[in-house]
Amino acid sequence: MSITVEFFGLARKRAGVASIEIDAHTIGTAFDVLESLLPKWADACLDDGHLKRSFLANVNSRTFVNDRNQPLQDGDHLLILAADVGG
Amino acid sequence: MSDTPHGYHGRYLHVDLSTQRSVVRELPADVLQQHIGGSGLGTWLLQQHTPHEIDPLTPDSPLLFVFSPLIGSPLTTSAKFAVMAKSPLTQRINDSLSSSHFAIAGKKTGHDAIVITGHADSPACLIIEPESVRFESADDVWGLSSQQAANQIRIRLGKQFHIASIGPAGEHLVRYATISNDGRHAGRGGLGAVMGSKNLKAVAVTGDRLTTYAHSDELIAYSKDLSRKSFGPATAKYRELGTVSNLLTFNRLGTLPTRNFQQSEFAEAERLAPETMSVTHDRTRASCAACTIGCEHIFHVSPGDKGVRMEYENLFALGPLCGISHPDTVLCASALCDELGLDTISAGGTIAFAMECAERGLIDAPDLRFGNGDALLQTLHLLAHREGLGDLLAEGSRLASQQIGQGSEDFAPHVKGLELPGYEPRTLQTMALGFAVGTRGADHNRSGAYQVDFSDKVDRLLATPGDVTLAIETENEAALMDSLILCKFLRGVFDDRLAAMAEMLHLVTGWDIDVAELQETATRIVNAKKDYNIRQGWTPDEDTLPKRFLTQAIPNGESAGAALTEETLKRQIEAYNLARGWTPDGYIFDHESAS
Ligand code: SF4
Repeated sequence: MSITVEFFGLARKRAGVASIEIDAHTIGTAFDVLESLLPKWADACLDDGHLKRSFLANVNSRTFVNDRNQPLQDGDHLLILAADVGG
Repeated sequence: MSDTPHGYHGRYLHVDLSTQRSVVRELPADVLQQHIGGSGLGTWLLQQHTPHEIDPLTPDSPLLFVFSPLIGSPLTTSAKFAVMAKSPLTQRINDSLSSSHFAIAGKKTGHDAIVITGHADSPACLIIEPESVRFESADDVWGLSSQQAANQIRIRLGKQFHIASIGPAGEHLVRYATISNDGRHAGRGGLGAVMGSKNLKAVAVTGDRLTTYAHSDELIAYSKDLSRKSFGPATAKYRELGTVSNLLTFNRLGTLPTRNFQQSEFAEAERLAPETMSVTHDRTRASCAACTIGCEHIFHVSPGDKGVRMEYENLFALGPLCGISHPDTVLCASALCDELGLDTISAGGTIAFAMECAERGLIDAPDLRFGNGDALLQTLHLLAHREGLGDLLAEGSRLASQQIGQGSEDFAPHVKGLELPGYEPRTLQTMALGFAVGTRGADHNRSGAYQVDFSDKVDRLLATPGDVTLAIETENEAALMDSLILCKFLRGVFDDRLAAMAEMLHLVTGWDIDVAELQETATRIVNAKKDYNIRQGWTPDEDTLPKRFLTQAIPNGESAGAALTEETLKRQIEAYNLARGWTPDGYIFDHESAS
């Protein structure tokens, strides 16, 4: 199942890319794949397989998700953003 | 004063510019504990000094500089103060916070607050030291930018003085003029116009009066730990990229106000993003006084210039909101607002509104078009000096729309007269509630409800009454942070923010205060602001959003179709009022409990 992961702000800086296509069927498997592909990003953004609290995950620019078991559909866009969006 | 709590002087200074007299008044310990400082204490003082409904630009109208118990302590980001008055833009309570050495020097004058009333016969500079209050002519600096005026006054008085001053916009009573200090600004709500109406160009402060701490050793240890945490991942976004990094995120989510809120995405956002500008422009970093985070990112138009501090709010308001995509134009407009003493959000919001009016043929301004950078820069000059069309736009979008008429009131982007910040309310519907009920108008600093929308706790496109308690929590937290005062960008470092605030207050003041008591304090402060507004003529119909947001869906892009109806917003507001313990339409049951 192919999904696109898009990185914003610090997550993009740590990933070194703006987006990447991966195969994943849940949020958890997406993080596991990213951990192997982008170890520097994982070091900065993941803690024990979950996003650190300074980051958020969002699916298709609509739903914020915080559950590794959350299923993903083919073609989904998983956005990784900063959690604090104070201006 | 024997019962003065640690962290306080237990007194404030009241200066009357008309008589050039001043008096020191006591601040009872129970008042300090109940209202803390900054915004909370300022609201209490404003109530004491505003016995009846006033015009904010008349001599009776008090202008307050309010300090806090944490100022001068080693706690990071604590060098902040509140400037307060009834706003000439909203006719409601206004507290604008700023962060600089002015806070530290002001508190060292030996006062917890400075209240200024009256009107000087000619342009004046008010000079406050621990044992003296005096006045000097400001004739020679009238007309200068706030920074130029402050520099000249400091040369005359000495470097030990720190200055808060207004620019030309304040002098011309622009209803969204700022008060500047050390390059920072008390930005929102037009407090610079209140200062200008008093013929007061500058306030200069210095002193050597220190306050004590209840638990010094523990406070130093706590402060070191907090500073260490402030270097960690929770604040890395602010250090490394700054708030401007919101731009591409908001654009991707379809929540970036564009062309006076006609759209929620800006096709050219990439050009303005810090990721791009860091490549095309030199960038340096700075921080407020006593801050270990340092979120200020300063971009340079040409090598060696003094640079422009860019934050998300000025970037959005002078960029996408006006349809401007050229980075140098946005940087120049931002620098110009600083120089003239204009609130960037209200300036951008009012000009974007005028651009839409011009494009619809409601006003005769052929050059004022979305995307026209030269027109943006020229209009900033005009409104700061109230020349030509600038005289109308200096009134802000609400009053301007009332004069223009022809339906323009429906798309004037304000709540209670305060222009909206860069969060599109139809796509962030908890924030929409926060904007509507905000006591100082549409505001992202007194309600942090966007935090709720950016979470898995709610559907940001579908408001439900269950969301209101979450909105209230962010409002209460802001009331406390603005009273202690600490920077909100520290929020992420605390596991339990309220417990941390209670601990810091305990170490400084010695109060045995728990989270429940802090919650009560937050409620007291929010109620006091509402009570002030009610006494100044607030009515329930003010708690709403402009018609555009309640009748038009987002037309295209990622958030296409996102809509908020008047019925939904009313239901949310009623749920909010009831959750606050108020009447369904928002009156406080017991006015006295807020006094
Ligand atoms: S984090 Fe930024 S706004 Fe907050 S005190 Fe530090 S420099 Fe100032």
